[in-house]
Amino acid sequence: MMRPTPLGRLRDTAVPWLLPVAILLGWQAAVSTGLVSNRFMPAPLDVVRAGWEAARTGELWTNLWVSTLRALSGFAVGGGIGHPLGLANGLSRLSERLTDTSVQMVRNVPHLSLIPLVILWFGIGEEAKLFLVALGVFFPIYANTLHGIRSVDPALVEMGRVYGMSRTELFTKVVLPGALPSIFVGLRYALGIMWLTLIVAETISASSGLGYMAMQAREFMLVDVVVLAILIYAALGKLADALTRQLERACLAWNPAYRSA
Amino acid sequence: MLLDALRREAPADPLPETRATVPPTPASARQPAEAAGRGIAVTARDLRKSFDGHAVIEGLDLFLPAGGFTAVVGRSGCGKSTLLRLILGLETPTGGRIVLEGPETGPRRSEPPKRIMFQEPRLLPWARVVDNVAVGLSGHGSRAERRERALAALAEVGLADKAGQWPLTLSGGQRQRVALARALVSRPGLLALDEPLGALDALTRIGMQDLIERIWLAQGFTALLVTHDVAEAVAMADRILVVEAGRIALDLRVDVPRPRRRGDPDLARLEGRILDHLLGAQTDI
Repeated sequence: MMRPTPLGRLRDTAVPWLLPVAILLGWQAAVSTGLVSNRFMPAPLDVVRAGWEAARTGELWTNLWVSTLRALSGFAVGGGIGHPLGLANGLSRLSERLTDTSVQMVRNVPHLSLIPLVILWFGIGEEAKLFLVALGVFFPIYANTLHGIRSVDPALVEMGRVYGMSRTELFTKVVLPGALPSIFVGLRYALGIMWLTLIVAETISASSGLGYMAMQAREFMLVDVVVLAILIYAALGKLADALTRQLERACLAWNPAYRSA
Repeated sequence: MLLDALRREAPADPLPETRATVPPTPASARQPAEAAGRGIAVTARDLRKSFDGHAVIEGLDLFLPAGGFTAVVGRSGCGKSTLLRLILGLETPTGGRIVLEGPETGPRRSEPPKRIMFQEPRLLPWARVVDNVAVGLSGHGSRAERRERALAALAEVGLADKAGQWPLTLSGGQRQRVALARALVSRPGLLALDEPLGALDALTRIGMQDLIERIWLAQGFTALLVTHDVAEAVAMADRILVVEAGRIALDLRVDVPRPRRRGDPDLARLEGRILDHLLGAQTDI
């Protein structure tokens, strides 16, 4: 393969950004010329201005912090139950027979349909959001951990046994690393569901957070703040995904599919 | 008393002269006392194994003397792999029994282990090459000790420079050499080879055969090779068992001195005889 020149490398980096930049420019032009009313869609520069304003007053940081904390604590609770249960059911036939059917039944209930019930139980406090996020995160983590353990190559497990590995060694050196790619799939799914659940929960019932900020802005017809909130959600989702990717690359460096180019 | 009788029949030392002609490898130079008489003797009496009522091994008697190199050949489905798995304890016999005897009745912990090389390398893709070899020392010694011995074993198979690599970056032949190092690092008394070279190309396979033979001569473990390649069996083993329908149909000694030359007329004649037998058995059915 040819070694890329500095100019070629710059071009390679620039190409994926051409389309988004073009859309932004077109959008700005359409609003500035009055082609699109800024009551429906604020110009990109207005959104930037709204973001600057919210950041200056500190309102943005408070809401961002509240939302992030909710997302992470819900994730910790849901993942903290789903992951061990997935491990247990993957390793123990008894545990699986005892719990898997029940889990699969509950899984078919769309967790967002529980919002009215959750508001009745917890009001619009923190518990409601935590419960919904934890519930949403639980299933992908559980299902993918279980699937990962199931898909470990039995030939490797047999090798470990023949070579005298203890049960602990068999788990830490063969089963868990073998299940890791699937566990990461669950993690990324769960992160997506985490943000989705939080947005819905905060939009419907909250007194702080990004969703609340967007709903307040709607009351006062501040379209730029609404769009700002949407973009921040997108950025947070992207950030979570990028961090997982980094983690994947570090943990799955042995696998050519995950090795960085 | 039965075992005694069997032992009397067995040759006292299967390799009296050849062992002396082999140049010492670094490992044997380090542990000269271990190089001889480390093998495990295997005795099977009236061995039976059936899967779902279908008999695979039917009343098989066998004695493998310590330190010998025995090849088991036969057509697919004849039960040769099952025999190997039974001897290693990977399967439980339906009837009969298997006795493994180590060189001396020392403390149980110090008995040389039995190891297997599978048809596929079965390396852990998420562990570096050196750590894969160290798997062969599970539960023995400290981490640093295991690493040091693993590096020595890698050097023995000529892969010292690959210690820090991932298995997926190696070629098929290199992976199988790592698997060989993993099997040998614990200084086994019995090494079972379950068609370990079947997936390799012809030249790599010959190289591996020579490597295994050289290490066997230096270390003196009992080697049991299961293969469908008769040429490979006659090139490597000093005794060949032909298994048919769960029994030993033919038991031949290979009295060709080592190092053996490929294309040796004696070996070719023996190979022809075994193939005739196998093909004859096929036309009977």
